[in-house]
Amino acid sequence: MIEVRGLVFEYPGQRALQGVSLTVARGAITALVGPNGAGKTTLLRCMAALETPYAGSVTIDGLDTREAPRAIHERLGYLPDFFGLYDALSVRRCLFYAARAHGIGRGQATGAAEAAAAKVGLSDRMEQAAGALSRGLRQRLAIAQAIVHQPAVLLLDEPAAGLDPQARRDLSRLLLALKAEGMTLVVSSHILAELEDYSDRMVIVDHGRIVGGETIALKGAARLRIVLAAAREGLGEFLAAQGTTVLEADRARALVTLPGGLEARAALLAALVRADFPVSDFTEDANALEDVYFARVLGREGAAP
Amino acid sequence: MNPELLRNLWLEAQPLRLALIAGLLLLVFAATSAANGLVPSGGVALALYWFFAVLWGTRSAALAVVGEIRERTWDGQKLSAIGPWQMMWGKLLGATSANWFGAVLCLVVIVASAWRESGPANALSFGAILAAQGLFAQAVALLSSLMLIRRQSGNWRLDTFLCQVAGVGAAFAYYSLWSSVDAFLRSGAETVNWWGHDFNLSAFHFVSLLLFLGWALVGCYRAMRAELRFANGPWVWLAWLLYLCVYDAGFAPEIEGRLAVLSAMPPASVKLALAGLALLGSAYGMAFLEPKDPVRLRWLAEQAQAGNLFTAFLALDAWMLSYGATFVVGLLLAAMWVAGNPALALAVLAMLGFLTRDIAIFVLMRGLAGARGDFGALAVLGALYLLAPVILSGLGFRALDFLFLPTPQAADLALLAGWVQGIGAAIWAVRSIRRAFTGR
Repeated sequence: MIEVRGLVFEYPGQRALQGVSLTVARGAITALVGPNGAGKTTLLRCMAALETPYAGSVTIDGLDTREAPRAIHERLGYLPDFFGLYDALSVRRCLFYAARAHGIGRGQATGAAEAAAAKVGLSDRMEQAAGALSRGLRQRLAIAQAIVHQPAVLLLDEPAAGLDPQARRDLSRLLLALKAEGMTLVVSSHILAELEDYSDRMVIVDHGRIVGGETIALKGAARLRIVLAAAREGLGEFLAAQGTTVLEADRARALVTLPGGLEARAALLAALVRADFPVSDFTEDANALEDVYFARVLGREGAAP
Repeated sequence: MNPELLRNLWLEAQPLRLALIAGLLLLVFAATSAANGLVPSGGVALALYWFFAVLWGTRSAALAVVGEIRERTWDGQKLSAIGPWQMMWGKLLGATSANWFGAVLCLVVIVASAWRESGPANALSFGAILAAQGLFAQAVALLSSLMLIRRQSGNWRLDTFLCQVAGVGAAFAYYSLWSSVDAFLRSGAETVNWWGHDFNLSAFHFVSLLLFLGWALVGCYRAMRAELRFANGPWVWLAWLLYLCVYDAGFAPEIEGRLAVLSAMPPASVKLALAGLALLGSAYGMAFLEPKDPVRLRWLAEQAQAGNLFTAFLALDAWMLSYGATFVVGLLLAAMWVAGNPALALAVLAMLGFLTRDIAIFVLMRGLAGARGDFGALAVLGALYLLAPVILSGLGFRALDFLFLPTPQAADLALLAGWVQGIGAAIWAVRSIRRAFTGR
């Protein structure tokens, strides 16, 4: 759905994106994570055809952001990290304007506005001024504006920032509902713990690069932590040969993702034992996402022991 | 209805605000009518019209986009399906809708007053001129704001003020002609010579106003296109420069009649000199207004080095085109004057050297201090052109003026000084851009 190839973006004196390549699958939720200043927002703005890259390309549904920015805008919704609303307008007027601004005819705009409000749970606040909404409700209104034209792709920059736990849970549900409708979502976030609730894949961005050069599957694959009783060479290579994705590995421990169910795990364990690896621990690690993140971004000292 | 216009009407033309404006005007007109024996004063209405349409209207027009950036809604608008044409009119007329409500009420009183005093034809003409002036001021303010936001100064108050100054300045360019009905009637009796033909002064300037208004709207449309990620080629800017040259050169006979020294020169060269002055102003103006983004300059240099000259040409900024056009006209002028007046020809070539230096200073200062660098460059140029010659003169070294000015009295030395400084500043600017990317 979204193809990013060799993307380079420069600010004077700083290369914000250093040849990023990335594929975002259709109908999936992909999370962009990374420290502040890593290049996530620039990457999203390039995807949204709001910035022109120095080199490389972004194509969405086969359309190049340089050649057809307006055609891309027709099929894309974008919520910036710091967004604004027309505070003096009612929710109804905000959404009606958003619908009309996205090319929806006058006759259909009212229906589109009401449908978008229903999706985000704002139907009962249509006559309330946008400026009178709470932070969480403003976030919902901003998302409703971004999806009022039913875009194929929705880009969200730090949508959970500043939301209370309830609002975050509502946001997760909303993102999953949009995914169920067939929308492709890219979400940048700092909150790793919540990414697993709704994201299919995770991409770690740091210093303008995709760390490890790959996306990390979060759904449909178990994250397994393997610890050996005694260190042995070749653990990572062996695990990779068994069809796992090695997230981190040294001579005594490894963290991998393994597609498939319980049988696949049993087969991997059996293979390790057959190859005389002294396995002392073989567990699914629910907290491994943070470990992976810190291991890749901060180095080994940031990872869990 | 244009959705952008509709949204602006919702926000700007709120019933309470319109009622307040109408009530205030009613009170003012009632007071002046009472003082003038139940006749509303055209003079007071004219002053209020300038307030609503020009002074406040330019602020509203400037804030049409600057305000969106300040409120963080501009990205959403850029992602909409609204085209540049709709967006431009929606903002130009919508953001100023409350201003126009008050301005039109004033216009009614102005035209009614002029109708009584000078007849319907003059009253309606005067009303049309005022309306065009108001729209022109607002279009210039909007255009300036679309230029200034590219600099990303982050100072919306200063940006708005500068746009307001540009808009008000555009409207006041015609102020002496049409400051009152009497002034309007007087200008109708005078003539202006343009390209050797005599034209009614008022009609000529009204047509000029409409043409400049047209160009301001074209500028707004193209700047809006750029904001909405459409590519703009160089052709329309080149057409504007050509128009500016033809318009300015047409005043040569008028100026020759007033300055005896010019009548000794070939008539074609005087026209070319006027065209060159217009281009020079355009080069300095755009060098100040445009961002001179080092990343973009580097990209252009890479395209040129790779042999993609046409691609680079299509992407040139307005200041580059203006600089190039000034250079070409300057060389032509020097060639025309070299036989009859070699000192003047050398002074023109020296001026091109100083222009190169000044453009390089704009680029350099932008790289050093971002958007604030443009004001820094103005300060440096002010010091070079105003302070330094005064100081030298005060110290008794007036003969050294050639170091800072393309003076015909020492044209050969000025030529040398101008180009040494021009090449030096250009090399410094290029190195500073390179250093910004490589750290060397």
